[in-house]
Amino acid sequence: MYVFTCKQEFEDMMCCIYTAWERALRVGHDQLRLEVEPVEQMQLFDEYIHVDADHEKFEKVTRSIQRKISMQAFVSVYYVAMSNEPDAIDVIYRFLIRGFSMGEVVLDHLTDPCVQRFFEIRRSVGNEAHFFREFARFTSIDNRFYVCHLEPKNNVILFVGEHFADRMPSEHWMIIDDNRSIAVVHPKDGENYLRTLTTEELREFEQLEDQQDLYTDMWKTFFDTIAIRQRENRNCQRNMIRIWMRKHVTEFR
Amino acid sequence: MYNKHMFEVSNGMTTKEKLEILADAAKYDVACTSSGVKREGKKGFLGNSVACGICHSFGADGRCISLLKVLLTNNCAYDCKYCVNRSSNDVPRAAFEPDELCRLVIEFYKRNYIEGLFLSSGVWNNPTFTMEKMCEALYLLRTKYRFNGYIHVKTIPGASDDLLSMAGYLADRVSINLELPTAESLSKLAPNKSFKTILEPMGKMTDTISAHRLAIGKDARMERSGINRYLSNSIFNSNHTQTRVDGTTVHAIGVKGPSISSAQTALAKVDSKLQRAFAPAGQSTQMIIGATPETDLTLIQTTQSLYQNYDLKRVFYSAYIPLNEDDALPSMDTAVPLLREHRLYQADWLLRYYGFTANELLSEERPNFNELLDPKCDWALRHLGDFPVEVQRASYDDLLRVPGIGPKSATRIVQARRYGHLDFDNLKKMGVVLKRAHYFITCNGRMMYKIPIEEQYITNCLTADNRKENWQIHHQNEQYVQMSLFSDYHMSASG
Repeated sequence: MYVFTCKQEFEDMMCCIYTAWERALRVGHDQLRLEVEPVEQMQLFDEYIHVDADHEKFEKVTRSIQRKISMQAFVSVYYVAMSNEPDAIDVIYRFLIRGFSMGEVVLDHLTDPCVQRFFEIRRSVGNEAHFFREFARFTSIDNRFYVCHLEPKNNVILFVGEHFADRMPSEHWMIIDDNRSIAVVHPKDGENYLRTLTTEELREFEQLEDQQDLYTDMWKTFFDTIAIRQRENRNCQRNMIRIWMRKHVTEFR
Repeated sequence: MYNKHMFEVSNGMTTKEKLEILADAAKYDVACTSSGVKREGKKGFLGNSVACGICHSFGADGRCISLLKVLLTNNCAYDCKYCVNRSSNDVPRAAFEPDELCRLVIEFYKRNYIEGLFLSSGVWNNPTFTMEKMCEALYLLRTKYRFNGYIHVKTIPGASDDLLSMAGYLADRVSINLELPTAESLSKLAPNKSFKTILEPMGKMTDTISAHRLAIGKDARMERSGINRYLSNSIFNSNHTQTRVDGTTVHAIGVKGPSISSAQTALAKVDSKLQRAFAPAGQSTQMIIGATPETDLTLIQTTQSLYQNYDLKRVFYSAYIPLNEDDALPSMDTAVPLLREHRLYQADWLLRYYGFTANELLSEERPNFNELLDPKCDWALRHLGDFPVEVQRASYDDLLRVPGIGPKSATRIVQARRYGHLDFDNLKKMGVVLKRAHYFITCNGRMMYKIPIEEQYITNCLTADNRKENWQIHHQNEQYVQMSLFSDYHMSASG
């Protein structure tokens, strides 16, 4: 068995799929497996092949997904690639095998286990992105700049950032993924961009989160007041906003 | 004159104190949805709106907090018996300054606490005065503060047409509370309101919304969930002549009804300046359940007729919570009918997404829902003759009527069965709740388990499955703590 490995970046993953496919044309798809690095447990009899990003291969793969399957499939592939599931890249690969042979209709083949798993991951990433659209909280730094900290399981801050770019185009703001040390930065009236943060920067931004002002205080008051005592239902609350998601949410801090 | 009033009411209170009073007074309003309109953001403005709506938090009662739900003031000239703000209650009163409210909305919105504003109000002096104040605040929010997010405004029954119209231009959703489903109950519990003052503005609003929709090339009626296109039975597809509760006939599409026309010309200025659609997210309303003796059938029929005749987007139910003591009201120790409310919402969904009609769900002989079972299971058990359905061949309508299959899983079944045989494992992966569905479906001619298709047997199984869930809804606000010898019996370790 050949195991193709790559970094957990979209471009690297697409190139890894390309390289693996080249090999599969000679040995067959069932003779190989894809994994993202770091590989946790190496197997003795497998051959591990590291693949680096190459812009040309990346273009080829993304173009063929869009042309031979559909744009919708490409978007879904992107979502799945952002997942934290260890088998995500392999699932994309298996999905593409079916997709390239049958075209657009692969999206309807919901009885196929690979397609099922693909959509399962797609949904979990999409849902998480939506949760953080809801539960992201910005801290105001002197009303000039807004900072938000998230710790999502999947890499969703790009999707979250896209939402806020439409919502608050004329503000300076920034969404930080504390676990991955990356941030979506939005300058006033500008375009979002992604930036990797250094450890010092991250530490500095972490302190900003504790800033309290009149409005955080009023929000907590509102939050406590708006619940109806006679209908208290903590179970329902826990179902709707899970405890691990509350870490950076103002009213639960 | 306004300022003098304002001063008297809110003398020396901080915004935080006012917020506490006015949020507390508003919390019994149910609607907190921010859905129904998709609007993209604009440079220089703050906010956008997403069609599915976004909840931002969930309170201790598990209800979503999507909008900043406040009253403009809890001063009220009316004395509705059930209401916490009635004039005969001695509660702290406050009122927001328009500017103060706008700042609150903007600052909360920028921190992503809320999706927009839900503004209601007590009747301050008179309906027109109140509505003027509300419109003033909204106008300021839309113009000076350049707010482009979601606004839901409650209109005050009895306010003038111009003001209704202005509210429509400024807000995304407009609502008037029906409060109670029959005129009798309304006159008993809300002596200052009447069906006429509620239904007339509601009807005018409906006509104005549809006129505006036609003017921009949309269908006169509000968009409904796409599923309804495939459901022959759906309440939104029937084209029988529609009569409103007050007897007027709904005008044929394209013919403009008695809409708020005089106001339209007066407010054309506002419209062109704001360039906003008229109440793009439509209307909603709310009814109190459990305070008066109406049956579920009356409630569900009223709901259906509101959807059909007034083209409302949503009808909300609010389980009656005893807050005031009064002879006309249930006693103070009445339990909040949470499970009944839950069943009514389930039935409401069956009307809007599953193609059921009110008369299918309940009848004069059985005017109330079975609290032990959800309305769909209940319906299916009374129509066992139609079951089991074969998932490989059943039509979309029929699939949707199976308990445990919803719009999404039905769509997935229809999609997937074109390309291969389904089995129960696949159905489970597609989101079918087999716990309920397996009594009512066959897959390739076989049922999941060998069971008798008998009403009594299946009812017993389903109620047993539901027991835990029902118990939780009934007892949701009871708290349990472990007994402790020391704190419960006031003993101390040293004593």
